[in-house]
Amino acid sequence: MSASAAVTGIGLVSPVGTAVEEVFGAVCAGRSAVVRPPEDHPLHGVLDAAAIGPVIDPESVLPPKEARVVDRSIVMAVRAADDALADAGIEIGRDVDPYRVAVVLSGVGGLATLAEQAVERSRRGRLGVSPLLLPGVLPNMAAARVAIKFGIRGYTSSSGTACAAGGQSIGEAMRILRSGEADVVVCGCTEAPLFPTFADAFGNALALARGWPDPTTASRPFDRRRNGFVLGEGAGVLVLERPEFARARGAAVHADVLGWGATSDAHHPTTPRPDGSSAAESMRIALRDAGLSTGDIDYLNAHGTGTKAGDSAESAAIRSVYGDAMPPVSSTKGVTGHMLGASGVVEAAIGIVAMRKGLLPPTHNLDDPDPACDLNHVRGEALAARVDAVMSNSFGFGGHNVSVIFGSADG
Amino acid sequence: MESEIRQFLFDSLTVMKYSTADMDDDTVLGPAGADLESLALAELSLRVEDHYGVRFDEDEAERFAAMTVGEFCAEVARRAQTATAT
Repeated sequence: MSASAAVTGIGLVSPVGTAVEEVFGAVCAGRSAVVRPPEDHPLHGVLDAAAIGPVIDPESVLPPKEARVVDRSIVMAVRAADDALADAGIEIGRDVDPYRVAVVLSGVGGLATLAEQAVERSRRGRLGVSPLLLPGVLPNMAAARVAIKFGIRGYTSSSGTACAAGGQSIGEAMRILRSGEADVVVCGCTEAPLFPTFADAFGNALALARGWPDPTTASRPFDRRRNGFVLGEGAGVLVLERPEFARARGAAVHADVLGWGATSDAHHPTTPRPDGSSAAESMRIALRDAGLSTGDIDYLNAHGTGTKAGDSAESAAIRSVYGDAMPPVSSTKGVTGHMLGASGVVEAAIGIVAMRKGLLPPTHNLDDPDPACDLNHVRGEALAARVDAVMSNSFGFGGHNVSVIFGSADG
Repeated sequence: MESEIRQFLFDSLTVMKYSTADMDDDTVLGPAGADLESLALAELSLRVEDHYGVRFDEDEAERFAAMTVGEFCAEVARRAQTATAT
């Protein structure tokens, strides 16, 4: 196997913190971020359980004039990009030609701010709509704001593949680097779905966990009593570089990206294909792309959101790929909730730290594994293990399946 | 009325995170002075429309960039009086 991209920077904004070690510590220790939304939160009285990220003052990451009408999804993305680029120790223009840097930052966009403005439009007519609305909410604006802030002038894009978008952004970044179109890619995803209309959309579709008096028990991937996912928010950004470029500038490398696969269920707008065959194929493609066999994967971070259908289909997919020689599997959403597309990046970071530390986080609240989710679960305590390669799955509404494989930088 | 409009203008610019400390009637609103860019001029126009019940055409906001604070306030006052009269 050979590296296609070197991960040199990580920046996270998650319900369990912004520091990578803090996030990893929380998922290993089972420190759940899921809470009953407090009185001052828009979801108070709307949801029983949500995974709420840290407060970030928009003016701490954007110029005050630009920070007034800007969705939280953009604010979190810029914060994560700040941290990722600082972690990579790279300065655009000094260390790399601005035209040789790309940005692939995804997410559904600023729907909460759009919803607020729709209310203002109904109430006050045309004059209620801010001219700053579009740059504050469009799904490409996280990428655009990061490009503007850091003077990045190469290829820029964003993927709209729902909860697969984070994994897809990493895959696209790797493809860009392999093609030689850029030396560095800032990639990731950001999601801020914690507002009533979006929450009710998921809730009315019966996708959310419900009826748990203790909110910390609501997110329970693969458990027999699971009844939906816990809506969360967050952002994750990775700095990826061509391995030769990273080496030449003496960058510290967290991990290598070895390969990825992407498929479509072609089945239903929201329900996964029950046999998981397309998800399985995305894992097989990723393995081939990385030049690895199933036995090379030491840990699988599952998409595992906690829905009945999703967890069963993913389990069927994992079993069909790995059979009985299955690596340890866990979903960290039991602690973090489901940050939609951003989960794929946060979970990639968790996998990278797991490799570095030789420690696998358990699936929180997996008290009674569902026989329909017959996997080699990590549950209870974190598991010490040598880890040289990690697979991370991300699946999205629409039937989008993405699998990304990371390898140890030492390997 | 123009002094009231000037106060409204400065209050609006403060909300929009522009410093008004060095502004007076001779300050140009656009890049040559207060440095309001196109979206900021559009927002200022909306605020004035909302508050004074006047209406600007779509291409007028950009022309405000060349106006001074004093000229802008006089223009708003003229339109507000016209709107009241009609």
